[in-house]
Amino acid sequence: MNFFVRTRKKFSKLLRIFLRKKSARIGIYGPPNAGKTTLANRIVRDWTGDAVGPVSEIPHETRRARRKENIIITGLNGNSVTIDIVDTPGVTTKIDYHEFIEYGLEKEEAITRAREATEGVAEAMHWLREDIDGVIYMLDSTLDPFMQVNIMMVGIIESRSLPVIIVANKIDLPDAAPSRIRSAFPQHPVIPISGLEGDNVDQLYEKMTEYFG
Amino acid sequence: MPHKCTQCGREFKDGSTIILKGCPSCAGKKFLYVKESQQHDDVLKEKSPEELAEESRDEVLEVKPEPARSVQMHDRIESIRILAPGSYELNIEKLAESDERVIRLDTDGKYVLDILSMMKKQKKKK
Repeated sequence: MNFFVRTRKKFSKLLRIFLRKKSARIGIYGPPNAGKTTLANRIVRDWTGDAVGPVSEIPHETRRARRKENIIITGLNGNSVTIDIVDTPGVTTKIDYHEFIEYGLEKEEAITRAREATEGVAEAMHWLREDIDGVIYMLDSTLDPFMQVNIMMVGIIESRSLPVIIVANKIDLPDAAPSRIRSAFPQHPVIPISGLEGDNVDQLYEKMTEYFG
Repeated sequence: MPHKCTQCGREFKDGSTIILKGCPSCAGKKFLYVKESQQHDDVLKEKSPEELAEESRDEVLEVKPEPARSVQMHDRIESIRILAPGSYELNIEKLAESDERVIRLDTDGKYVLDILSMMKKQKKKK
């Protein structure tokens, strides 16, 4: 009897190690204010009831990558995938504290925010190089997708041959044009969603089980 | 001996560096080296610069503009550029390549190298 218990324990331990390895680390990337943290919060809340971090309309609210582990996402077809979600600081090529002053921040606070945001971008790029198995690239569908940062980032992700799902966020806004994003990146699946309202996120979950599984 | 612009006839003193960027009046790129005695021949004898060139057998000097060297993001060596305190320019491609930090201070091309970040990479290679 004892033998059986021991074997079973060993077996389940092995299985756990095996399962942990299967947990894919998914990074949510994109320019500042695209809604990365909002989506991360939604995913985590939908599947674990937790939250990842605060959101704000001032760009660069997330200045350190935040991680939430072992989230099991089940698609409508019953397929499920275990992921670690990494919410990253918005990637941009220019950070200027004047931008934050326009949002009513004090000069010193704005300068600190700019410095932290710069460190955050470097950190996000570090994650992308070493620890990420798949990418959700978020774009604001009310904005022009043909920005240099987006083209460059998608290029970098492609060069690392990571699976990428492009999310056209903010479709609840009247001037959203997710089709523009679709035509900008025809080589990747584009899912239009509203992270805030939760529109169409089921389709995203479906795609995630298919892509990151 | 002065140079003369073959397009508008404007004259420039010998050794003038202005013409290297083209004629400031008409942006012409071709200049003729004229003898001082013949300096005003084009007006007085109503000769075109081409005729003058033929007469004097001097070659028409053409200023070729230097091809504009556009510095692309990926040609730059710095990963972060500090324009002013609180203003940064980030070189995403460099940041994606490695953790090495080369920081450029925009005032008179000063660079700061984070040697520690470069050491880390070597350690990993071993």
